[in-house]
Amino acid sequence: MGECNRRITRRQFLKTAAAGVAIGFVGRPSFLEAKEDYDLVAISGEPVAATRKALEAMGGISRFVKKGQRVVLKPNMSFSRTPDFSATTHPLVVATVAQACIEAGAQQVLILDHTLQRPEPCLERTGIRDACKDIPGVHVFALQERKFFREIKVPQGKVLERVEVMKEILDSQVLINIPVAKSHSATGVSLGMKGLMGMIWDRESFHSQYNINQAIADLGTVIKPQLTLLDATRALASGGPGGPGEVKKPNLIIAGTDPVAVDSYGVSVVPWYGQNFKGRQVEHLLAAHQRGLGKIDLDQLKILKEKA
Amino acid sequence: MRTLIQALSLLLFSTLFVFATYKLPNWLPADIYLRLDPLLGINAVFAAREVIGRVLWALITIGATLAIGRFFCAYICPMGVSVDFLDFLFFRKKKRLSLKAEESLRKVKYLLLIIFVTAALTGLSLVFLMDPMSLLTRFYTFFIYPLAITVINLILDLLRPLFRGLGWIALSHLSYPQPVYYMSAITFLIFGGIFVLNLLAPRFWCRYLCPLGALLSLIAPLGFFKRRVNEDCNECLRCQKACPMGAVAENSKETRLRECIQCRTCAKVCPQNAITFPMSLSYSLGGEYSSVNFSRRGFLYSLAGGLAVGFLGTQTPFTLRQSKHQLIRPPGAIPETEFLRTCIRCGECMKSCLTNTLQPCLWESGFSGLWTPKMDLRLAPCDQNCNVCGKVCPTQAIRSLSLEEKTHAKVGTAVLRKEMCLVWVQNKICLICDEICPYNAIVFRPVEGYRRPVVIASKCNGCGYCEQRCPVKGESAIVVVPNGEIRLKEGSFVEEAKKLQLDFKPDPGDDKFILEEEGFKVEDKKGEKENILPEGKPQPKKPKGFL
Repeated sequence: MGECNRRITRRQFLKTAAAGVAIGFVGRPSFLEAKEDYDLVAISGEPVAATRKALEAMGGISRFVKKGQRVVLKPNMSFSRTPDFSATTHPLVVATVAQACIEAGAQQVLILDHTLQRPEPCLERTGIRDACKDIPGVHVFALQERKFFREIKVPQGKVLERVEVMKEILDSQVLINIPVAKSHSATGVSLGMKGLMGMIWDRESFHSQYNINQAIADLGTVIKPQLTLLDATRALASGGPGGPGEVKKPNLIIAGTDPVAVDSYGVSVVPWYGQNFKGRQVEHLLAAHQRGLGKIDLDQLKILKEKA
Repeated sequence: MRTLIQALSLLLFSTLFVFATYKLPNWLPADIYLRLDPLLGINAVFAAREVIGRVLWALITIGATLAIGRFFCAYICPMGVSVDFLDFLFFRKKKRLSLKAEESLRKVKYLLLIIFVTAALTGLSLVFLMDPMSLLTRFYTFFIYPLAITVINLILDLLRPLFRGLGWIALSHLSYPQPVYYMSAITFLIFGGIFVLNLLAPRFWCRYLCPLGALLSLIAPLGFFKRRVNEDCNECLRCQKACPMGAVAENSKETRLRECIQCRTCAKVCPQNAITFPMSLSYSLGGEYSSVNFSRRGFLYSLAGGLAVGFLGTQTPFTLRQSKHQLIRPPGAIPETEFLRTCIRCGECMKSCLTNTLQPCLWESGFSGLWTPKMDLRLAPCDQNCNVCGKVCPTQAIRSLSLEEKTHAKVGTAVLRKEMCLVWVQNKICLICDEICPYNAIVFRPVEGYRRPVVIASKCNGCGYCEQRCPVKGESAIVVVPNGEIRLKEGSFVEEAKKLQLDFKPDPGDDKFILEEEGFKVEDKKGEKENILPEGKPQPKKPKGFL
């Protein structure tokens, strides 16, 4: 694993980011018209191009973001790891989505996480802050204080009655979840559904007090991202959530409005801990599915698979 | 003019203090004030019995004092500025009690100096108790800094609605993590005491107690600038009253050169404009008013006092049992004996610590370890991307290391206390330590039908993430103990670690062994016991979270 450590310097990053975004602008191809009838899209390619195309294929970002709206993007930037560890969302994916939101006329785009490690190094080393810093209207920060959270009820909760969620998420019009694909030592995988835990104040209790899988499904009943865009450009197939672990390169961006479907597809793209699994075999996804939060069986999904 | 320089000096001191964070650029010596302090230098060099590179900066102060005189106290010393400023704020109009024993009090600082230097010679670092730089940095770290953060956050909270209204997104979400320290109260009381003494006399501390002032005053009369009073003097004695140091002798034409800090207050208040500070190349030690006249008895007593304190401070069970107690020192800390001798307890490392894990010792290693930094890993872990504690250490009791070196400066080893661990004792589902470990030093081994966490000592560098995150209430079920710590005075930690066959490289670990045929003998795991899975194969070979 040593050689993939620090392969990208920050500068290279920025350059690539700029170049990538530029290419995205110039070469925006006339896609197939909006494919709202697909349950999800899986686009393979480089981070920027694949993200752009995935958004297009979902019907364009304007399907989700209207002029003047406040948008929250929730990538995973919980660990102070460089992108090659695959413990955090690829900065170019985040920047591309943020850029698209601004282009669609979003008033502001907040890129938020409640990080596990100290926020400063997290924002710095994940590269996400740097990648987004030149996009006007986009703000990247971590919310680590309770005062930024507000308690809400979980009416359909099985184990959770109440949960404290980031105020910004409760108050914004659009929430786009941009998780990274990784393994997780407690929940098997950490994709979009598990990523919801980065939006709440007290996640310790999920580990110690509740059945974490049921609690995640409970969370899914109150936090509903309009779009989930799973960054599977890399996947941390073992050693998750913090890594280090085995990093695979599916080169995929998976997007959809159904959070369970996106995750379920995400489960299928690489073997986790050396084994192939289906979405149904992931306890928290199954729980979410059984709560009616989304479809889980891939054969019942209409999936658009393309190359960027 | 003087006030301006003083203010700038305090500002510089404070700015450097603020800059002492994990982002400190390598070229910026945030600890420069401490390096410039010759007393701290002498203390560390004597106690450690070797020359320390950074301490040589103090030669600048010595040289300047030799050339100019004791100007340091009046213009540079941030402690002097603080005392002056607080005095101005609070005691300006107070009537001060008159001190009768003026002359004998003056001696005190010299006696203290002798005690501290003697103690240093016995190997006990003691000067931190009263050295102004160390004291002030400590006061800043343990009191001013946490207070400032509290106040700033309070203001931010108050203004938050405004920021929100103005659409200042970044500001409306700004909030600084609140640092907390043991011993904040004690530190505050000590500083408060120093300040209250001003009620007795202005700059009471500087006149009578400051050992750094004492040291500088020994060489001060050699300086080129000296107070001179010409014939116009009508002996109104205003200068004598105004002098903050009591440096004007009974006969107002004479000066106690050792006490004079060249603040020129006397020249300012003189109605006759009779006082000047011309440069003179004539060599004089200043005559009768400038002798350091403590008795031979006093000298011997303080010498004996220093030796006694040195003996009592170093000869304790703590010293003999070094590394037998549970103290985790910062990564890169030199071997314990040398560490205690070299550390000047300024608190700069604790201020700069990214995670707030560095905390001052109270009595954990006895008198000789007061205020030395330890890691409180239950409170916070050591971040693998931060190496600032060594960067800011003015005496290099914590060595300044590259991140790579620092990662290999193992501070201890995590030990799993099975009798407390939820997995070992209660068969609960808990993998937090494994999840958070940056080096994959924790693996799950099948024992009695369950996968249970085990520490691989050779991969653990003691960063403490596991100890901090362990969900067991109270004491952690996984604690870092000093066992296996690497303390090197010189040489490479990387090479030492290699010799010891330690490996802290982030690598995937052996999580996958569970899935290999021969490695995974566990029948079942709790997570998989619930068979909600309709078409699930009843086979056990699955990692957690999968059905």
